[in-house]
Amino acid sequence: MAESEKTINRRGFIKLAVAGAAGAAVLRAMRYARASSGEGEAGEHQWAMVIDQGKCTGCGYCTLACRAHNDVSPDISWNQVVPSGEIAGKMTYIARPCMQCQHAPCVDVCPVKASEYRPDGIVMVDYDKCIGCRYCEVACPYGARSFNWESFTGPNPAVPEWGQPEIERRPRGVVEKCSFCYHRIDRGLANGRLPGVDRDATPACVGVCPTGARLFGDLNDPESNVSQILREHNSFRLREDLGTGPRVNFLPPDSEA
Amino acid sequence: MEKRIKLTPWFLWVLTLAGLIGLGVAAGLTVFWKGLAITNLTDMVPWGLWITLDLSSIAVSAGAFSLCALVYLLGLKRFQPIARTATFIGLIGYSMALFALLMDIGRPDRFWHALVYWNKHSLLWEVTMCVTLYLTVLLLESLPIFARFEWLQKRWPKLAAKMKSVHHYAPYLAVVGLGLSMLHQSSLGAVYGVLKARPLWYRPDVSVLFIISAIAGGMALTVLASMVSSRVTRRANVDDSLLERVSVFIGWILVAYLYFRFWDALAMTYTYEPGRTEGLQLLTSGPFAFNFWISEILLGLVLPIFLLLNRRTRSNPFWRMLALTLVVIGVVVYRWDTNLSGQMVVLSYIPGSPLVAYTSYSPSLIELASTLGVVAYGILAFSLGVRYLNVVDHGRETEELRQPAAELVTAPASD
Repeated sequence: MAESEKTINRRGFIKLAVAGAAGAAVLRAMRYARASSGEGEAGEHQWAMVIDQGKCTGCGYCTLACRAHNDVSPDISWNQVVPSGEIAGKMTYIARPCMQCQHAPCVDVCPVKASEYRPDGIVMVDYDKCIGCRYCEVACPYGARSFNWESFTGPNPAVPEWGQPEIERRPRGVVEKCSFCYHRIDRGLANGRLPGVDRDATPACVGVCPTGARLFGDLNDPESNVSQILREHNSFRLREDLGTGPRVNFLPPDSEA
Repeated sequence: MEKRIKLTPWFLWVLTLAGLIGLGVAAGLTVFWKGLAITNLTDMVPWGLWITLDLSSIAVSAGAFSLCALVYLLGLKRFQPIARTATFIGLIGYSMALFALLMDIGRPDRFWHALVYWNKHSLLWEVTMCVTLYLTVLLLESLPIFARFEWLQKRWPKLAAKMKSVHHYAPYLAVVGLGLSMLHQSSLGAVYGVLKARPLWYRPDVSVLFIISAIAGGMALTVLASMVSSRVTRRANVDDSLLERVSVFIGWILVAYLYFRFWDALAMTYTYEPGRTEGLQLLTSGPFAFNFWISEILLGLVLPIFLLLNRRTRSNPFWRMLALTLVVIGVVVYRWDTNLSGQMVVLSYIPGSPLVAYTSYSPSLIELASTLGVVAYGILAFSLGVRYLNVVDHGRETEELRQPAAELVTAPASD
């Protein structure tokens, strides 16, 4: 039969197999090494949010405003307000948008690159790429991602008669999450507004908060409100132990910012 | 004159399986039509029965790569007929996984995205690529099997001969198949193992356990399917001494598997890691306790080790088949338990609140029906293979083996 095959013996194959496996292992190690370096930190702006637990009353306006601006279904909360126990006779809350992690587990695990970092640090979901495998949902330590189990049709009860949502509704079968209202930031910057200062250019949840418990701004600007307050006050981030590097910071209830 | 259809056992068997497949297709179409809202999956437990079906059908297909490696790389050519059976089972198993995945993803119309939009950091991307490539390898490896289809040989003899000649590349395909399988069989465990958010999964052992259990389960299913076929139809004939040899391998692989499982479980008990300890308790004394102790460890490992390594029980067909069945069940139950236990423990991100919350999941009827349909498809495909392609045939020496090229490659160890 074919002459070329006579040159190949069993030993040769085993060598080839071992070499192949070793090569694959090295490639994989390199991949992980690269994956663990920080991403999305190159941009001109580095957006961050500060939520003051001392001021938050748990009213849920942030969630409602988020639903209205982003056309989020009543089954889903991009921004969830969760009671976090009583301190000195006063109820405290954790309002949880997407943490826009510096090392986001969801970005690492997505098989189709539907989740990616923007240069300003925002973790974006490409709803045209997402295949709906829900790996990111399983991977997120903050439960910040929701799957569209069914299509959301009809009017959104959170949207008032006088306004309309600012972004497109997501189709059935994809995962969605908070985007720090990137569209408001981009539009604001294009119009010469300053996100965090001008309400039009700031995430909807920040602008709507009746007690001013939420602040938003640029960490690259030392004079921004978030930079100042994080310098002057104690703050914490959720599940800091995981090393995800959240861009949402909390002021503990007793800090009285 | 019309020919009356005779109610032969074969006809009834095919009819039953076709009925189940019909049910599964109906369930699958309902899922495509109505969306995943009709499943019992939630944002807390987004991965359920279908993922278990994926993982299991890929795991029990591992006989293909391991037996092909034995035959073509270690030169144990007498196992070649068993490797052929395993390859055919592998082809079926991987296609079953594809059906299950197609239902499971929210946008089945975008199934091809992973092949186009690469995220090289993602274990799931790597698994998708490996599975796709390995499915290609399996298809090539199966061409000589399909070449045995008599109708094809009569109708297109040249094509059949071409397909048969692919056999000469079997050693190359075995190398590629071994590499790809070593990668994705373990990566399926690593899919869970890399998730920081899930302390029970977040350990390196899962990938090791997945590949070892897959090799045991895959070989066990191959031997079991061969034995069952040879007992129900004359179209399958086996050389029992070969199957017995493979059963010894399986027994020793199970010993290694038990050893690693022991250290894996023991290591988890030594430090209190929030979420991991609770997850282990779910397995050892919670809702999974029966699955863990009885189905996975006692019946899935300890008993088969005894039955397969003891010559008297091993040479008895009943005990051997029982042991192999238990091995396959144990491997499947391990996948189910691993997938669910990690999702049932949810670590709170709220500072100062109770650390752990528990969720629950049981599959809906639609999920069960579609899973049953996919399994029935697998069994039907194998039955057709036994009947028309002689996939279980140890007696007739295959033509390919008599050819000198194959002889050279699979030369016995010098002795």
